[in-house]
Amino acid sequence: MTVKFGIGNKRLRESTLIWFLLFPSLAVFLLYRILPLAWNGVLSLQFWSMYKPPRFAGLYHYKELFLYDDVFRQSLWNTLLFMVGSPIGIALGLMIALLVNRPIFGRNIYRTIIFMSFPVMTVATGVIWLWLFSEKTGLINYFLMYIGLIDHSQPFLEDFNLALPSIVLVSIWQVVGLYMIIILTGLQNIPPSIYQAAKIDGANSWQQFWLITFPLLRPSIFLCLIIGIINSFNAFDLVYVMTGGGPGHATELLITYIYKTAFTLARFDYAAAITVINFSLFLALTWLVNRMSGGNAGAVETN
Amino acid sequence: MPFRASAAFTVIAALISTLLALSGCSNESEPVQNKIVVLTFNMPHYKDGFSRWVAEFHKLHPDIEVEQIDRKGSNWGAFYHTQVISGTAPDIIDTQGGAWLQYASQGGLLDLTPFLEKDAEFTANFYPELLQSWIYEGQNYGIPLYFTKTLLFYNKLMFQEAGITSPPNSFDQLMEYAYKMTKGEKSGFMTLNFDWLYWSLFAMNGIDLVTPDLRHAAFNTPKAIALIERLAKATKDGAISNISWTGRWVEPNSMFAAGQIGMLQAHSTALLWMLSNTSWINENTIGFAQMPGNWSTPNAHALHISADSKYPQAAWDFIKIATSGEGAYSLGISLNNLTGDRFVNEKILDYFSQTKPIVVPLLRTQQEHLNTLVGNWPLANDAEIKEALYPELQSALLNHKSAADALSRAEKKVNHILSRDDRTAQSQSSVSGGQ
Repeated sequence: MTVKFGIGNKRLRESTLIWFLLFPSLAVFLLYRILPLAWNGVLSLQFWSMYKPPRFAGLYHYKELFLYDDVFRQSLWNTLLFMVGSPIGIALGLMIALLVNRPIFGRNIYRTIIFMSFPVMTVATGVIWLWLFSEKTGLINYFLMYIGLIDHSQPFLEDFNLALPSIVLVSIWQVVGLYMIIILTGLQNIPPSIYQAAKIDGANSWQQFWLITFPLLRPSIFLCLIIGIINSFNAFDLVYVMTGGGPGHATELLITYIYKTAFTLARFDYAAAITVINFSLFLALTWLVNRMSGGNAGAVETN
Repeated sequence: MPFRASAAFTVIAALISTLLALSGCSNESEPVQNKIVVLTFNMPHYKDGFSRWVAEFHKLHPDIEVEQIDRKGSNWGAFYHTQVISGTAPDIIDTQGGAWLQYASQGGLLDLTPFLEKDAEFTANFYPELLQSWIYEGQNYGIPLYFTKTLLFYNKLMFQEAGITSPPNSFDQLMEYAYKMTKGEKSGFMTLNFDWLYWSLFAMNGIDLVTPDLRHAAFNTPKAIALIERLAKATKDGAISNISWTGRWVEPNSMFAAGQIGMLQAHSTALLWMLSNTSWINENTIGFAQMPGNWSTPNAHALHISADSKYPQAAWDFIKIATSGEGAYSLGISLNNLTGDRFVNEKILDYFSQTKPIVVPLLRTQQEHLNTLVGNWPLANDAEIKEALYPELQSALLNHKSAADALSRAEKKVNHILSRDDRTAQSQSSVSGGQ
């Protein structure tokens, strides 16, 4: 009995200690994340102006969003299209990771060069690519004309069909280094003995990849997917610098539309409703991806 | 005992870190009494001039401090909105374009009509057409600080090469000249188009944005469809540079400065930017004219007083100093712009005739035809209407969709905004009435 009490007391002390250590972070999280989120939900159900007391609006803003606002629908669609860039980036990151995981000469230099795009400030990335894509003076147009792929310069960022793919391309370029590092870490955690056993069993390289490498990389790949989803919902600065959401609303994402609605049009109540949709979608997708990964995306096995 | 000591240490450390973490929430600065705050719009270089305004102000109100907060245009709105929401709206704000309409319509700005009536001598300094630009539902909410309006810059060398002897005086001629000057990388015409800058093209073709009662869209007409189709075709043909429809500022001005554009519709301020980026521009190579029909879009700045300012009279006195007499003069020569004070403007023109003669004919265009300004409709949701309309027009102008489809969709959106205004206003008043 005494022993049991001792253990219980120890657990209580440990638990108290853990909560005390967590408390500062949780307090900040509550104040700066949970409360604003809850307030945002309330705001989306109100008529709210900067100078007047709020009035209950019910689902008025949601009705407007779904029945009248085709910019919202386009932003939602663009956000989903932006997300399609993630699997492409991850596939690219996987290929590069497999390549630089091999004992090739100068692989550390290649790894560094490929990773270097990730820490560059997004605004700087946007400005650099804005010039690269320029119709009159851009290097990309010059190169494509030089190799004969196009016969006259293309207005990549002014074209309704090319603007979004161009931005997705930049986004992939920026994040592919991170994907590579995550996957490389996953690759290096696979014990070589598994491959040796597979070789003895007569598995060829293709079989080794599909039956060993890919399944064991699942947590890393799903972590990359979650990062890709976050990136799609947060790609504000890249879009804002490169196109401002245009031409028309061809590159408008939910996040840029929220910003414009709130801070350009001062419709904070309506922006709150879009944010609720944005957050719900984000939560649902993240949950789905985590479930698909077996509920342990990015987990580190400790035993 | 060792555990107790370490647990106590942990508890204290956790509490300290919590306090540190939460300290960001506390308001460290105590509100200073007897102070007015002036939020200016993209005037970081005007510190000395602002100090002179404050020195003059202190002669009248020695006990009231003045604080200037300046924000760039791109984040002015976000800053002001957060200040209002947090209950610390600046006493005086400097707005650009139609943003003030939303603030005035929601009761955020003070009606300045009684001040203007009381200070008749001060009021008489201003161009009546400009003062008119800040009237919403019969009340005046702003005093002009400085203003520019659009005009047509033209490249005399390209005119000469194409055999054109004078600027166009009709829309047809504008298009004809644009085609004449288009060759290779060179385009005949370009326009800036943020805010309502492009509307002069619509106005000269007899197209209205809204009905006279401001309750319905009026732009979806066969004339407007024909105009957009014509502009879109000229864009496709290269006679109008497609950069015209991107909403950018630097790129169009750069292209004109690079000698690639025959005619550019832009604000007068574009000239100084061009002069600082190229050497070929001088009195013999660049011309300034009104757009056909003398239509132009203002890009005016005004000072307003917040409705909940504690010192409205002091704020008004500050505005008088900044917008007239010596205060306006020093601002005008610093910004290379005209002010709302017509007498001060003559002094500013005298100054520039001595120092920068090239800008004098340019600034003269700014004083003319103030009765044909467009893009300054007193619509409470001006920004929202602009956002609803322009992307649709842009789609048609860049040949992404048909003009008829774009105008039809834009009309639906604009009418929805105008009708929603009515509905939300009714909802607000009915709830208020019930209390």
